[in-house]
Amino acid sequence: MNKNRIMVIDDEKIVGDMAKLSLETEGFVVETFLNGEAALARLKEQPFDVVVTDYKMKGIDGMEVLRIVKKQYPGTKVIMITAFANLDAAIEALRGDVHDFFPKPVKINELKASIRRALGK
Amino acid sequence: MTPAMKKAAGWLTAIVRHLGIRPRKRTSPEALFRQFRDVLKNNNRSLEIITDIGDILSGDYLFDIQYIRRSYGELSASLEGSLASFEELTSGRYPRLRTVYRSINENIRHAIDGASPQRKDLVVVAEDIDDSAAGAVGGKARNLAELGNRMGLPVPASFVITTQAAEAYLLHNRVMERSGLTGGPDAGRAYQEARELILHGEMPTELSRAIERGVRRLKKRCRGDCYIAVRSSAGEEDGDFSFAGQFETVLNVPSESAAVERAYRKVLASIFAPSALVYQQRLGYGVTDMKMAVACMVMVDAAASGVAYSRDPRGASDSVVINATWGLGTSVVEGRTDSDYFRVSKGDPFEILEQKIGTKESLAVRVSGGGTATLSVPVNVRKRPSLLPEQVARIAGLAVKIEQHFRRPQDIEWAIDGDGKVFILQSRPLRDSEPAGKKPDRAALDREVQAIARKNGLAVYPGGATGRVFILRNPADLDRVSRGDILVARHDASQFVRVMADVAAIITDTGALTSHMAALCREFRLPTAVNTGDMTRTLVHGQQVTVHIDEHEVTVYPGVVDQLLDRADAGSLRMEELSEYRKKRYLLRYIVPLNLVDPLRDDFSPKACRTLHDILRFIHEKSVAELIDQAGAGWRSNRAVKLDLSIPAGIVLIDIGEGLQNAAPRDHVTTDQVTSVPLRAVIRGMVHPGVWHSESVPLRANDFMTSMLRASDIVTDGAPRASASVAVISRDYMNLSLKFGYHYIILDAFCSEVTRNNHLYFRFAGGATDITKRSRRLQLIAAVLHEQGFHIKLKGDMIVARLANIGRDEMEARLDVLGRLISFTRQLDAMLHDDGAIERYKTNFLSEMYEVPSMHGKEPVKRDP
Repeated sequence: MNKNRIMVIDDEKIVGDMAKLSLETEGFVVETFLNGEAALARLKEQPFDVVVTDYKMKGIDGMEVLRIVKKQYPGTKVIMITAFANLDAAIEALRGDVHDFFPKPVKINELKASIRRALGK
Repeated sequence: MTPAMKKAAGWLTAIVRHLGIRPRKRTSPEALFRQFRDVLKNNNRSLEIITDIGDILSGDYLFDIQYIRRSYGELSASLEGSLASFEELTSGRYPRLRTVYRSINENIRHAIDGASPQRKDLVVVAEDIDDSAAGAVGGKARNLAELGNRMGLPVPASFVITTQAAEAYLLHNRVMERSGLTGGPDAGRAYQEARELILHGEMPTELSRAIERGVRRLKKRCRGDCYIAVRSSAGEEDGDFSFAGQFETVLNVPSESAAVERAYRKVLASIFAPSALVYQQRLGYGVTDMKMAVACMVMVDAAASGVAYSRDPRGASDSVVINATWGLGTSVVEGRTDSDYFRVSKGDPFEILEQKIGTKESLAVRVSGGGTATLSVPVNVRKRPSLLPEQVARIAGLAVKIEQHFRRPQDIEWAIDGDGKVFILQSRPLRDSEPAGKKPDRAALDREVQAIARKNGLAVYPGGATGRVFILRNPADLDRVSRGDILVARHDASQFVRVMADVAAIITDTGALTSHMAALCREFRLPTAVNTGDMTRTLVHGQQVTVHIDEHEVTVYPGVVDQLLDRADAGSLRMEELSEYRKKRYLLRYIVPLNLVDPLRDDFSPKACRTLHDILRFIHEKSVAELIDQAGAGWRSNRAVKLDLSIPAGIVLIDIGEGLQNAAPRDHVTTDQVTSVPLRAVIRGMVHPGVWHSESVPLRANDFMTSMLRASDIVTDGAPRASASVAVISRDYMNLSLKFGYHYIILDAFCSEVTRNNHLYFRFAGGATDITKRSRRLQLIAAVLHEQGFHIKLKGDMIVARLANIGRDEMEARLDVLGRLISFTRQLDAMLHDDGAIERYKTNFLSEMYEVPSMHGKEPVKRDP
């Protein structure tokens, strides 16, 4: 059985490390990136089922990632996480067809449940 | 005033200022209470934030540094609020608390920002190591200083060459750039090059001088000839991860700076040793992340030494495990020879429950002039125990003490010198061997599959694994071990860490539960058994087998036996193994632990506060004390209202906020008009039917004399009066000072819906009878309050009892009991003619039997509980 691939983008290493560790125990294949540029480059080589991205990043930010993914890889679901519970950001993200939106700190079990929903499990 | 007097007065003022002694300011009850409430409010907010941070950093959440910064900002703001209200409440009598807070705050800010600690010393003597030096001296030296400085345990004198010194050395010799470690493709060669550069590097002059000063100072502490053990103390070493045996230790170095410098280079170079690097990588360290401090401690001339685990790592919490051998302990921790094993009960007395005396073929000894040698032990003494039973008990006692101090099971290295004195050389947290998965049905399995081997052994980490047997005959063959192999070796060795991430299990013929390898295997959660006898001769190299390791037995089956495998566990990473996560969690150690546990101890002081939690605790306790003192001494205002009671307790009330009904009269009130929750509860107890005895008590002649003599000590404002009892109340709060004849009671209680705010403080002192009877009454009170869960301290003829953090209903129930006890024991001392009466009255009181027949000349009848 093919394992689902999850991409995690956050400019803080700890977020990616923790997400990778917890999602791998669920049987997902996880790759982490510290910025939007590297992540989008990887998406060109390898399709992912779900992209979990931080909202605010230097360079290509989470909204930009969302727009590009939705345009170029419509089958890939995007989950947005952000440092502060920012209502405007949430509304903007939801308009951009984000699958889910979480303020940080994110409960890992909730993120896992959201990913499972995104995968239709 | 003469100039000399002026000078003396000036000194005195300076001393008073230095000691932070400030006169108590008399404040109005309302103002005092408002300040107290402010303290509580801020303390509660701080504790909520601490709980939240603890939750978020538990590993169940994704968080980032912004979260930590924001939360800590909130925490420090509310804690500073607490501190400000507290300083106002106590008229600034604890200036040291703010200094302590500043220092902890600085440590936390450094932990958040990942900045190096402020201390720039190249060498620190052990006596000067405190929490602020923790980062600079590394985990091992910090723990040892804790044992020596705070616990007063026997540890060898030492100094530490700090992490700053290591950075200075590496920089001075341009090790990173010259070795190409900062990014070359050939990493192995770069590490080798880095080691060479360190070993042959030049010592910076300043560091060389600092080491010389350290050595000189150490020499003064030696008796006779002085040799030094030079040991690693890396950043996190002896913290959450053991780094057991990963870095170099140089024993028995002559106390000359040139020799110490040589040893220092060796230890420092071991950061780049291949096995140490495997371990560092496993924990997520980058090449330049590891900070190495080096401890130089006076060598103990060890007659015997070894390791003690303050609990059995196989899960039994009620015993201490000790491994011992003659001479230096290197052979125990490196598993080079068989050692003695003792399992000791944890209680006092420490009894040996189990012992296995090993065949100790060799021992390591100091060589005069420096270095160590391994000698062969004469055959006839190999099987003799290396420790006497009383030495085993003493080591077990120390191990338990250290565990209690750190509040975690400990892995301790110790040595006994020629005079029988025990020294602690090292202490670090002990990893448990958690049982891996479900227990398989072995009996059913044995009916299906014939085992190849079944041996007694010690399970370092239980579990099942399958793989090809790799029998290691020569240590150099370790590099030939393949992924998934079961490593079978004659002795255990910390060097095996190089393959721990790859192998499926490790089994050794000899070895101890307490060795370095054992500590590492537990961290890797790798099924491991040691001391199995002759597994290297029983199993066949290359054979596919499944091993099952349980507490005392290793069973080997041919082929793959699925039901014995627990694949999810071994080798998998856990959150705590992420270095970024550990770094963030590190700051919790300055916030969460509570060290200031017992307010009745003498070291309950600002100086003893090591975490923010401690500071909050101190503030709370001392705020309560302030209320008690001020309420007792100063609040005799003309607003006093008499409380009408069915007993002649003579209590007047001062209401500072919703303690009485609005419509209550101004001169006297009934209990129905009292709205103060704690006062209502205590009064309910005091007037409980039968507890208050009104008849006069026949004082004996000596009691009467005592009462005459004691009157002025007890009641300082003149003769005892019935109306001397006063309660300062609000809806949630009560401070009740009762004076009954010749004894007095203070009862201070906060009783609200918020459990965390609630506290109960009870103080009882004095009495009319002789000291023996008064003391019996206190013992009776102590016995009853003990049953009620109070923390108690008896001092002279005074008892102090405390209780906090219980819900409102429980508070009311305790106050009711206290009310009954106050009434019941009011005159009881005169009846306590023998010690046996204490137990009888206690039983009666707890059975709600309040008659005191002895007042009429008869002893109470004991009723079966």
